[in-house]
Amino acid sequence: MIYRIRHLTHYNYDQPVALCYNYGHLMPRDAAYQQCLESHITVNPYPINLQHRTDYFGNKVCYFSVENRHSSLEIVVESTVRLNDERTDPGVDLGFGNTCAEALKKLRTNKDEETLLAREYVLRSPMIDVSEALRAYAAPSFRDNVSLLSAVRELTHRIYTDFTYQPGSTTVATPLNEVLEKRRGVCQDFAHLAIGCLRSLGFPARYVSGYLETIPLAGTKKLVGSDASHAWFAVYSPGEGWFEFDPTNDNVPTKQHITTAWGRDYSDVTPLRGVIFEGGASQVLTVSVDVERLQR
Amino acid sequence: MNDDSRQRPWSSLPRQQQQSLQQTQGGPASAFGYMQSPGLTDEVYDPRGEQRGHWQYLLNSLQALGVDALADRQRKALRILRDDGATYNLSMEPQARRTWGLDPVPLLIESEEWSDIESGLVERAELFDLVLKDIYGARQLIRRGVVPPELIFSHTGFLRQCHGVVMPGEHQLILHSVDMVRNRDGAMCVISDRTQAPSGAGYALENRTVMSRVFPSLFRDSHVHRLSMFFQTLRLKLAALCPNDDMPNVVVLTPGAYSETYFEHTLLANYLGYPLVQGSDLTVRGGHVWMKALDGLKRVDVILRRVDDYYCDAVELRSDSQLGVPGLLDVVRSGRVVVANPLGSGVLENSALLKYLPAIGKFFLGREPQLRSVGTYWCGDASDCQYVFDHFDELIIKSTFRRAGEHSVFGGELSADQKLRLLERIKARPQRFVAQNYESPSSAPSWVDNGLVPKPLVLRSFAVADQSAYTIMPGGLTRVGSNDDKMIISSQLASTSKDTWILASEPEKQVSLLKDNVSQAGIGTDRDMDLPSRVAENLFWMGRYAERAEALLRLLRTVFIQVNSIDPLSPVARDTLLRAVTRISTSYPGFTATNIHTPSDIEKELLALIIDESRPGSVAANLQAMLTSSEEVKETLSADTQRVLNDLRDSLAELADTLAPGTPAPEEALDPLVTALLALAGLSHASMMRGAGWRFLEMGRTLEKAYQMTCLLQATLVAELDSADEATVLESVLLTVEMLVSYRRRYRARVEITSGLQLLMIDQANPRSLLFQLGALQNHIGDLPEASQSVGLSLEGRSTLEALTTVQLADLALLGVSDEASGSRTLLNQLLVTVQTLLSNTATLISDRYFDHRVEHHQLVASRWEDE
Repeated sequence: MIYRIRHLTHYNYDQPVALCYNYGHLMPRDAAYQQCLESHITVNPYPINLQHRTDYFGNKVCYFSVENRHSSLEIVVESTVRLNDERTDPGVDLGFGNTCAEALKKLRTNKDEETLLAREYVLRSPMIDVSEALRAYAAPSFRDNVSLLSAVRELTHRIYTDFTYQPGSTTVATPLNEVLEKRRGVCQDFAHLAIGCLRSLGFPARYVSGYLETIPLAGTKKLVGSDASHAWFAVYSPGEGWFEFDPTNDNVPTKQHITTAWGRDYSDVTPLRGVIFEGGASQVLTVSVDVERLQR
Repeated sequence: MNDDSRQRPWSSLPRQQQQSLQQTQGGPASAFGYMQSPGLTDEVYDPRGEQRGHWQYLLNSLQALGVDALADRQRKALRILRDDGATYNLSMEPQARRTWGLDPVPLLIESEEWSDIESGLVERAELFDLVLKDIYGARQLIRRGVVPPELIFSHTGFLRQCHGVVMPGEHQLILHSVDMVRNRDGAMCVISDRTQAPSGAGYALENRTVMSRVFPSLFRDSHVHRLSMFFQTLRLKLAALCPNDDMPNVVVLTPGAYSETYFEHTLLANYLGYPLVQGSDLTVRGGHVWMKALDGLKRVDVILRRVDDYYCDAVELRSDSQLGVPGLLDVVRSGRVVVANPLGSGVLENSALLKYLPAIGKFFLGREPQLRSVGTYWCGDASDCQYVFDHFDELIIKSTFRRAGEHSVFGGELSADQKLRLLERIKARPQRFVAQNYESPSSAPSWVDNGLVPKPLVLRSFAVADQSAYTIMPGGLTRVGSNDDKMIISSQLASTSKDTWILASEPEKQVSLLKDNVSQAGIGTDRDMDLPSRVAENLFWMGRYAERAEALLRLLRTVFIQVNSIDPLSPVARDTLLRAVTRISTSYPGFTATNIHTPSDIEKELLALIIDESRPGSVAANLQAMLTSSEEVKETLSADTQRVLNDLRDSLAELADTLAPGTPAPEEALDPLVTALLALAGLSHASMMRGAGWRFLEMGRTLEKAYQMTCLLQATLVAELDSADEATVLESVLLTVEMLVSYRRRYRARVEITSGLQLLMIDQANPRSLLFQLGALQNHIGDLPEASQSVGLSLEGRSTLEALTTVQLADLALLGVSDEASGSRTLLNQLLVTVQTLLSNTATLISDRYFDHRVEHHQLVASRWEDE
């Protein structure tokens, strides 16, 4: 399956900005289940300096600076991504693999590199703090002898059921306990929430940002969050690998989720971040995302 | 007494001879009855209680000097430190600045023992370098299970943004410092490592400079290993790091004058010969880092940083930091600038690493490191954490991440309540805490209350990466604890310091940086304009504030004399002078208000204009502003200037006491300030290089002097008074500018307005005349770099020339005539206003052209998810 993605970000400033330095996670990374065939960034005004690199998490980062006065800034990223069949939806039956108790034990005792490195994702991260409240919310799904993956699937479903998807109800800075309390948010909050729950119980979990197919196939429903960047999460089961879940859509990402980047939380994979000098105190931001299926 | 007893030091004698001499002296001769503290290992005494040979020479020499001479030399040392401006800032408050404490008794270590310590330190630096490369590279320590993953992953100093960043050369860790104590077995034991931006090397250098001046012979005869080689290596290393092909431009990056170790930053920058810059002096453009110098941007190749890595780049690191250079990390990553120590090196300051150091040593080197570390327990390890809870009272508790204002605590010294709170914090985030065994440090004699007393010590060592290995500073910074029992020595906690003498068996060849400076910088290279524009701006303002303070001080002196004179002033003359005070101080309403009549009201207002620092325009406020500017340009000021500034600071502090209401002849209390300001002006003339810095200082001065003269004339001579009052006022003006005598000599007549204006405005021979100052300003502006490059006059040149010609073309006879309708000298007023406007324009134009108008930057998208 091949997708073409066009991601446009546009800033309009009330006062001209003299200088800006930005970096973003805007180009899809490679993963076992996807390959970025092509990706291209256009910045307007023309940037003095434009660099591409791979970050600590293996994500693609582009860095650019605009060093002459500008009243608007536009970034367009066009990418072509091929998804293979690596990720499959096992349907309802996830009752295999490590039980929750086994997973916790293996995390402590396994000495393979993958498990050792995955332990990074049990720790707190800038936007996700573990807490007793999160642990208490998640605990009923994680009985010792239940398979970890089915427990996570159940948590995903519970978040979908218990929480209301409501754009504008939160900002990027809304803390997790407030989301838990108010029971509403957007995809980023639900991903953070699930990760917070898993870490509070001692399981490694990471944040995945990406896109959803925009135009639904005939006869299927348009998925929530498809007109902007989307976010979901992955959990690590020792010896078995990373598994993704989407609490916003109550499903397992397979053929319609295109990954851009992953990290400990949103702060590691922010689409666009930067510093501006002078002006720009008030700004109008427009973001649009188009995901088009080119080939089955 | 002197220490010129030309004895051969013990260390230079063959070992056998030393022993025999020691025996013939029979038992420990203890200078000043020095006794070791029971239960503490002492540097002077061996385990059998015998004085060590290498200490005897020192102690005997001190004894020979005697109490008075020693006390005198200690005072001398303190004076030098103070004159050098050697301070340690305890907080943001300028009055919390402490003079650096130096104990006149050095710590002695024999060459032979030092070479063991040195090889341990080299090995440790090599090991930490390997750890650093691994953490930001392959992470084998984690993958191979040498350290628990959480040890690295949970540490705030682990900057994932720095992954994969490498600098040229074999080593990544350029500077490494270690704090160590000698434990009960007599072995050195490391209690912590500094890898971020280690401070102290500059203080060690300052201690050495002072000691060699205060004890010249003792120092010479002791054959002390010199420190200059260390700094030489540092210079060569920094030059070698240069990633670009030109001559390397190295800068020292400081957080600013409020940093606790700012003195050291200025000292190092000057000693090494690099510009001292703040983050806002640098900018990233076109993929390079540039310094905002006076004549434009200068590329920067290497940054010796004294700013913690986390604050260095608001784009990728801490986004609310204004101390760094936005975009820096990306330039580092692309290899166009090198930062030493590298960004991310703070991860090595995690004290929990000490627990795993033997294992890390085995992994990388195949052996445990020679130099032992203090027993360390990491609360991130469940069994260690339990041990810490069980033995809390015996342990020192630290955070794994060093933050300003956070200190290690001794478990046993906490109150029940404090203990409970700390335990809660540990339970909530165990990975952030370590505990260490208390290593009782050794003691050495300190000079306290005219005697030698044992005090505990911690030695900080300094390593710098060489081309092939690490070079260790021979000695280092010894810090002395204030009490002799349980102590955690930190310079932040008001401890003092010692010079550290590594005794060589024979005199060492002298190495000085000076020669090297010349050959490397290239004679004749014009580095004049390499001044950061912030420094030029502060020099400019330093000049202006100094002149403002002086102008007001002079007028106040006159007013005190006149108001308290035996011949009482007429109310009109008095009010004219008082209103002039308000005009010069710009502290309105002051005497223009109608409610100040009684002598005590007048005195109160006059005193407030001197001592009230919170009143903008007062003498104290101007002097304080001048001192603040001088702090920013400390590295460009001579030692003499520093001394005058110290005196000024002291006089200012004493002013409130000497100037209590009712003080007779208050004008005399102002004399020391005027004298100090004149000394400052004299020094800039007599001893400052005629570089760009000097020009800006002098421009500030001349511009302000001219401006103040116009204000004074405007406030006193524009309104026409009856002839007696006018004479009094004019006399007062002449007295204020010290021209009364000259006037009388020249005109031998009663003072009269036209000849007064002649002397005050256009007399070229009078250095205080308006024309003289405008001419000087014109010359300085003509010498500015911009002026020499452009065709014709610069805008600021035009503006000054216009002021100059306006004054030159003035018809003094006409100016002296007053307008019948208004009863004032309208033409004079018009002229003065014109000159004032032109001077203000000149100041604005200079500022626009040369000074950086820094603006705070902010986030493209507001975020609140910073770590910590």
